[in-house]
Amino acid sequence: MVMSGKRVFVSGVGGELGTTIAGLLESESWVGDLSGIDADPPRHRLHRTVFHRIHPDEHDRIVDTVARFNPHVLVHVGVWEPDARAAPSAAATLTDQAATSILGAAAECAALEHVVVRSGIEIYGRGRGALTRPNESAPIAPTSDWGRTVAAIEQTASKVGERVGVTVGAVRLAPVLGPHVPSPLGRLLRQPGVPFSVLADPPFAVIEDRDAARAIVAAARVGLAEPVNVVASGAITALQAARRGRRIPIPLVGPDWRVARALSFLLGAPIPDHVSEALHRGRLADNSRMRDLLGVMPEHGTVDVIDRLYHWPSIIHQPARVQVA
Amino acid sequence: MTSTLGRVVNFPIRDTAARAGAAVSRAATDVGSSVIRFTDEQPGVVDDWGRDPGLVRTIITASRLRWDVTVGGDQRLPRRKGALIVVNARAFALAPVYAALALSEVVDRPVRFVGRPDTAPVGAFMRRIGGLLDHPDEVAGALAAGQLVIMGAAHNERLRKVGRVDHALIGGALAAGVQVFPAATSSNPIGRAARLEIGVASRPPRRRRGPLSELELADQVGCDIELLLLELGDLRTGTPVDWLPLRGVGGAS
Repeated sequence: MVMSGKRVFVSGVGGELGTTIAGLLESESWVGDLSGIDADPPRHRLHRTVFHRIHPDEHDRIVDTVARFNPHVLVHVGVWEPDARAAPSAAATLTDQAATSILGAAAECAALEHVVVRSGIEIYGRGRGALTRPNESAPIAPTSDWGRTVAAIEQTASKVGERVGVTVGAVRLAPVLGPHVPSPLGRLLRQPGVPFSVLADPPFAVIEDRDAARAIVAAARVGLAEPVNVVASGAITALQAARRGRRIPIPLVGPDWRVARALSFLLGAPIPDHVSEALHRGRLADNSRMRDLLGVMPEHGTVDVIDRLYHWPSIIHQPARVQVA
Repeated sequence: MTSTLGRVVNFPIRDTAARAGAAVSRAATDVGSSVIRFTDEQPGVVDDWGRDPGLVRTIITASRLRWDVTVGGDQRLPRRKGALIVVNARAFALAPVYAALALSEVVDRPVRFVGRPDTAPVGAFMRRIGGLLDHPDEVAGALAAGQLVIMGAAHNERLRKVGRVDHALIGGALAAGVQVFPAATSSNPIGRAARLEIGVASRPPRRRRGPLSELELADQVGCDIELLLLELGDLRTGTPVDWLPLRGVGGAS
């Protein structure tokens, strides 16, 4: 898609991924005006992006803001992964509200040409007999709350595209890990003890946040009109990850997982069902169409991302120089 | 849900021609993934399909206690591209498994086999040693990524006869645009000697545009394996049993 001076609207610009995407879009030559919306302010300093702080349930304000901006390209990354920043039920509600309001508002914009939505490889599900490495043509059969949520986003976006006649691209991300990304999987792997399924210990793949952001920006640039899996090459199991991070591997079987989930919740690293599914059934996807469709490939493999996960510095508490209270 | 998405989000694979084109494109772009040498694989991590090189090496060492496999015809296999190898199989003989392990060492590339279950712990273990699900899309995905994949034909009680070759899996190879090689395996239930002989790539008897191509190629592969089995010759036990007119007692297959 040859473009210049396009108005781009980013929903979910307050999250780590959204902020990184907005930062990358600011340096794209084809991008003209840039605007974003979220319930929280951006994590980094953005120079060109006009930010609107609006809660997903403020439907009228969202419609007004989006319609007034009249974007050519909508990048929808305003999704809440369960147990990342919100509890599963709240995450599902917020995601649904944001998808309905923002995609619905975009449909009212006369200039809209293209929509990119953030999805996930959880959309393929991990039911019995599910493909080990599904490609984009594999059936959509989500088996977790998060998988059903991203499937609903894709469905909503496709309906909008169908109604208003614009192209829709879905970027199906592997679990996103990064130094500041709230990820239930990353949080669990960084615990002192990492549970793993002693009977299966299946492989899973991840993607680093910056690689995910580059892929989404590329999807907006090329006018992606189909789904694409964005997954770092390689794979790793929970046991292997624990060993690489010098964590204590905790072998679990059957009912032990209930106890582990409860304990992990109390320790501040809840295990939502899609993470539990990844630890029991694995989570891989075929990324071979990334280069063809987006023209980019991840810079970091899964093992690199996991190694970097364990090298991120922990929070360092520094006492105030002058005690005032 | 799928149909609704399919109407708007243009899924990449819509028809056979596009499917084959996409697969060939993937194969061309992913040749790099197939050049990973078996001896260069790092232990402690798994590959894109969950195969654990360290565990595979351990299993190969352990398997030498059970099988002493002689491999022939491996020079016919492509060096970098993917290929589907179809072997004859006998019940409980684990022919695809020992063939994959032996071939891995000989061609110095990871070799996968079709037919792992999807239940833990057996399925999980077989995935770690290179097992793939018995699903055409799974096989096509691996072949398109430049992998060598071994599948077994169905068992046939008659000696030197090959059971049904799953044409759906052959269709996966056609979709991926890779060659299909027949291979004869021979093993002994009580001895260690085993053999894997790979023949020249099978060709369909005539060009077809539709699914008949995979059916006819599957039949052709079965015939080619039977020819290879005949070429392997009769079993020689080194005992007076060899003098009896029992052709192929306990032999190939």
